Amino acid sequence: MKNVECNRLTKKYGSIYAVNDLTFSIPENSITGLIGRNGAGKTTLLKMLAGFLLPSGGTVRILGQNPFNNLQVAANLIFIDDELALPENMNLGEILDTAATFYENWQPDIAYGLLDYFSLDLRSYYQQLSKGMKSTFNVILGIAARCPITIFDEPTVGMDAAVRKDFYRALLKDYLQQPRTIILSSHLLGEIEDLLDSILLIDAGKKCLHLSMDELRSYAVGLSGNSKLLHELVKEEDIIFRQQLGKDKIYLVVRNRKIDFSAARFKGLEIGPVPANDLCVYLTAKHKGGIDDVFKHS
Amino acid sequence: MYLNADDLTPLYMQVAEWLELEILNGSLQSNEKVYSQYQLAEMFNINPATAAKGLSLLAEQNLLYKKRGLGMFVAPQAKEKIRAKRIKENLQQLVLQLVAEAKRLQLSQAELIAMIKNVDLPKEE
Repeated sequence: MKNVECNRLTKKYGSIYAVNDLTFSIPENSITGLIGRNGAGKTTLLKMLAGFLLPSGGTVRILGQNPFNNLQVAANLIFIDDELALPENMNLGEILDTAATFYENWQPDIAYGLLDYFSLDLRSYYQQLSKGMKSTFNVILGIAARCPITIFDEPTVGMDAAVRKDFYRALLKDYLQQPRTIILSSHLLGEIEDLLDSILLIDAGKKCLHLSMDELRSYAVGLSGNSKLLHELVKEEDIIFRQQLGKDKIYLVVRNRKIDFSAARFKGLEIGPVPANDLCVYLTAKHKGGIDDVFKHS
Repeated sequence: MYLNADDLTPLYMQVAEWLELEILNGSLQSNEKVYSQYQLAEMFNINPATAAKGLSLLAEQNLLYKKRGLGMFVAPQAKEKIRAKRIKENLQQLVLQLVAEAKRLQLSQAELIAMIKNVDLPKEE
């Protein structure tokens, strides 16, 4: 079953398209990473999925229904970002107990257990928490709610490296116990790629790629070697990224066309994998040479 | 031959590789139950579907077999099969790379063989 379906989904702010003609679907019980540069439209997309924003065009279906103004979707979906409006006059314990009444699958043991593990005091107030601690509390809500659709928008903002690591592991462990549909947006693909079933890469509001992680890993290869030799082997349109290495050596990231490079290996050509994170950066870059292009003529 | 899989090792292949090593070094014996996809997901902090793909990769090669409702088990002869496969695929590839590098460095065949003979591996437990 497809739990999340978007068809030609569009959101316009004035004359600017924040989300532009997006069509994709996400199957139930899977973890999807939503990746994109700043301003790519990640948050706008997620807020439309959560029913917080009304699309300008196209349709969105969550569990088969339109999420906007929909109680059934609201009861089965939780949206976690760093702007949660939590009551100021309730302490963390009271917020957890109140949240428990909203969500059918709420896990009090996990909520309290995580709160204790991350050294958050039940009696403290949300506004008094540091940025990283607020984010930590937010993700505790997101995990303990065990909603069939769980959306995290940049959940690790402000968290230190240790907490981030613990959060991802907690998320995975809880997912193993209770599979659900999780969408996770992040700038740091490297941190989450191992957890993901698939990745949705968007750029300027448009879909760039929607692949399983295995497909993404074999989507492109990194080649380095003599630039003349490489340009003979590789088609210009397959080049995703180019970097000059020394006088006549070059590093290219190219689409994996399953070309047989084994003969070229003996001429000093090196073939390597492209880290998924780098690949996403290259695919959404406006210049094939990256930041180096800016400094080319100086 | 296509692109060398070793250079682009996807995660599920690394899981399969790890299980092969466990069988090779005797940690997993013939007809012994192997880890479930959920146990592997937890051990390696990876998505359970990825772990399942690693298991089915080995099952496709008849290195593991499935007992309905009980999980995956190590096939008899799995160790010998893995050994033969790795000599044919991995070791051959490594030798090719070794010889190519020696050639780049203009090392004679005798010098290369001497180097191989002099390698002193730490004893494994």
